[in-house]
Amino acid sequence: MFLKTQLSWNVLVPAENIDAEGLMLQKAILIRLLDEFATKKAFKDLGYFMAVTTLDHIGEGLVRQHSGDLLFPVDFSCITFKMFPGELLEGVVHKILKHGMFLRCGPAEKVYISHHKMAGYQYVPGENPSFMNDKSSKIEKGTRVRCTVIAERYDEAERDFRVLVSLEGDYLGPVS
Amino acid sequence: MSTEEEENAAELKIPDEFLKAKCLMNCEVALILEHKYEQLQQMADDPMNQMSQVFEKSLQYVKRFSRYKNPDAVRQVREILSRYQLAEFELCVLGNLCPETVEEAKHMVPSIKTRGRAHDDEAIEKMLNDLSLIKKFE
Repeated sequence: MFLKTQLSWNVLVPAENIDAEGLMLQKAILIRLLDEFATKKAFKDLGYFMAVTTLDHIGEGLVRQHSGDLLFPVDFSCITFKMFPGELLEGVVHKILKHGMFLRCGPAEKVYISHHKMAGYQYVPGENPSFMNDKSSKIEKGTRVRCTVIAERYDEAERDFRVLVSLEGDYLGPVS
Repeated sequence: MSTEEEENAAELKIPDEFLKAKCLMNCEVALILEHKYEQLQQMADDPMNQMSQVFEKSLQYVKRFSRYKNPDAVRQVREILSRYQLAEFELCVLGNLCPETVEEAKHMVPSIKTRGRAHDDEAIEKMLNDLSLIKKFE
């Protein structure tokens, strides 16, 4: 689910980016914020950071003693993406393995369905492997699938989420 | 871990801070991100360079999974759904997945029947009809 969140961060503006004109300073703060936002990528509690929508407030800056850099507390709104256990989600299959498959859901690529969680589907090997069930519903690379989230885990080192999903339940499975 | 195990979005058991947070439907996110992308294109010569991977992947995703493309339609969808005292989360699940039948809707958002809201099947049916009308006239 995409969420609109308000966050308060501290933004560090290096001394060399500071200009006598106030407008340039605001621009420098915004650029630093966007930079930091993009590199952070994701956070355990909030999910993936997608985009900053508005810069709501810039607080009073503090001068760092030795470097002369300026530290500004800023409030801003942004869009994040988080997956909740129990949530219904749609994704695109991007990798099929013998024991399951990976979906892409928004910014998340490590969304895994084990073959144990897709009852009735059989692995069909070949150049373009797929999963088929007896009603000849076929799941292959690029298929859109509706699934339900079982669990999610945050990988601190990669700043990425790993998610387990399932196809078991009514109204779940490939969608056109 | 014990608190996490109790989380269940289907029954609207998600942490409080998210329950109150404003959720966005895929189609709304698509509008915002596309606008953002255009802004970036105007600002920089190389917009792909300015975009984070998260942004890029999400833009592709929401473009593919938006049921409504037209900004007016998107606004109307939110307006219609917000007449039914839904939680933000429920509203977005319905807006994203566009169930076709009452049964399907109840299955997607089981909490629609709880929390003291007297939603009978008729009300849900009307909601789904209104939504499909928007889709038709988009």
